[in-house]
Amino acid sequence: MAGKPKTILVACGTGIATSTVVANLVEEALRDRGFNIHVKQCKVAEVQAHLDGVDLIVTTTQLSGNFGVPIIKTLAFLTGIGKEDALKQIIDALNTAKV
Amino acid sequence: MQWFFDALNFITGLGATVMLPIVLFLIGLILGAKPARAFRAAVTIGVAFVGINLVIGLLTGSLGPAAQAMATRTGVKMDIVDVGWPAAAAIAFGGEVGKWIIPLALGVNILMLLIKATKTLNVDIWNFWHFAFTGGLVYWATNNMALSLAVAALNAAIALFLADWTAPGVQKLYGLPGISIPHGFTAAYVPFGIPLNMLIDKIPGLNKLEADPETIRKRFGVIGEPMVMGVILGIIIGMLAYLGDAAVGTLGVQIQKILALAISLGAVMLLMPRMVSILMEGLIPISQAAGEFMQRRFQGGTFYIGLDSAVLVGHPSAIALGLILSPITIALAIGLSALGVNRVLPFADLAVLPFLLAMVAPVTRGNIVRGSIIGTIVIALGLIIGTVMAPAHTGAAIAANFTMPFAGATISSICDGTNPLTFLLYSMTRGGGGLGWILWAVGVVVLGGVIYLYKKNSVKWEAIAGGPQPEEVAEEEGELVRV
Repeated sequence: MAGKPKTILVACGTGIATSTVVANLVEEALRDRGFNIHVKQCKVAEVQAHLDGVDLIVTTTQLSGNFGVPIIKTLAFLTGIGKEDALKQIIDALNTAKV
Repeated sequence: MQWFFDALNFITGLGATVMLPIVLFLIGLILGAKPARAFRAAVTIGVAFVGINLVIGLLTGSLGPAAQAMATRTGVKMDIVDVGWPAAAAIAFGGEVGKWIIPLALGVNILMLLIKATKTLNVDIWNFWHFAFTGGLVYWATNNMALSLAVAALNAAIALFLADWTAPGVQKLYGLPGISIPHGFTAAYVPFGIPLNMLIDKIPGLNKLEADPETIRKRFGVIGEPMVMGVILGIIIGMLAYLGDAAVGTLGVQIQKILALAISLGAVMLLMPRMVSILMEGLIPISQAAGEFMQRRFQGGTFYIGLDSAVLVGHPSAIALGLILSPITIALAIGLSALGVNRVLPFADLAVLPFLLAMVAPVTRGNIVRGSIIGTIVIALGLIIGTVMAPAHTGAAIAANFTMPFAGATISSICDGTNPLTFLLYSMTRGGGGLGWILWAVGVVVLGGVIYLYKKNSVKWEAIAGGPQPEEVAEEEGELVRV
């Protein structure tokens, strides 16, 4: 899949703990499916500051506000339950995101 | 026989940066991770330890002398550097107890599930460090490995109980069906939050107050960012330590030192989490394998899935509360230091304050005014605890091969150096020997009794911890998920 890499911002409470897990798993899964993506991490409180070039936000905790990009809140990558559904949601959101 | 002792000496001499990767590689393989992945993960963990050690060196090397200079000049003696939870986690995992904490805590979880003492299937392997930390302190005090492991196991069991108890309240406030939080730090404050909240209910006027989280967050703005907070604290501490001191040098030199300290502290705030994120990354294949291992063992059952309290702290009230508690913590530290009961200089863990009351929030229904009051009380208590436990904290760090920049340097961390549950377990067993074991056994019996009482009356207990009121509960108490 050619074209400009899509950027996913993974946000959690610490910007360290759960977001590292999710960022790693999402990146690995999407690379395996041939997506050209770039994954960034941050704290939910810092989302506004990291929004440049972001196509999609994935968060493990509550994220309030409108950032102009789709937000997917999921715990599937942490619990291991419903992982495939969450991945599908992310892929759908990336495919429909503006280039 | 000599070769055997030589080999043993060789292995123990390797230190955390080498030993822990080897142990975790083996644990990863046993739990079913692929060898190549487990190897890469294990090396990553060793590298992360090197990185964390560098940043601790930067922090204690720059803040330590400044704190001492500040103490001599102002009389405010806060010379115990708060190195933060990232360092505490590394110290915990890097210690003797830390090497065995993953199989140990998994074993405790499996046992409690089998005897139906818990409903939580804990897949949050990362946060096993809290249990290892407590065990590490006990090991430092007693040098008794069996007792230290037993205390760590008891801590893990308590966390599972607290997770079950608070699950309905947490699920309701945060909208997380099927989740519970067996977190060694965040869950520990629930038993304090409940009576304090009841007390506030009785105080007229106070029981009506509430504040808006969004306004608080906006007021703090960029200062709320850890890196900026580090720089500002650096300037303040630097001025108190160096400004106007001719022994330091000319005014120009004084200003240079102040600004250098400020940027160094900003760097610590930014770099420390990055280093820990490397440690985290290294643990992923192992924690994933452990999670899958647990889910395979208990397939078909229904459970709460135990997760990190990091999934809670995105809530606006948690963020706002963390911001309010930062200046309160610093003020308390100064005040208590003047009274001679605190020596901890809060720094790196100011960033962790949103975690402190994330599980008390369901009890107060997310009320920020109440959160601030309860927070003030537990932090004040915590600073005193931190001062008392600092020698053990420092000793555990040295035992895990972290280098102190100068002799006599002492460290603490708000998480878990000031944790009342950690302190309780450590105080009970630090004497070691027969009494240590007896008090440990008392702890086990008390926990068993509490779990029994809770199970007999779970709906009422859960309502007190912020869950739905008994009349709202139709047939089921908390939402479970099928694995």
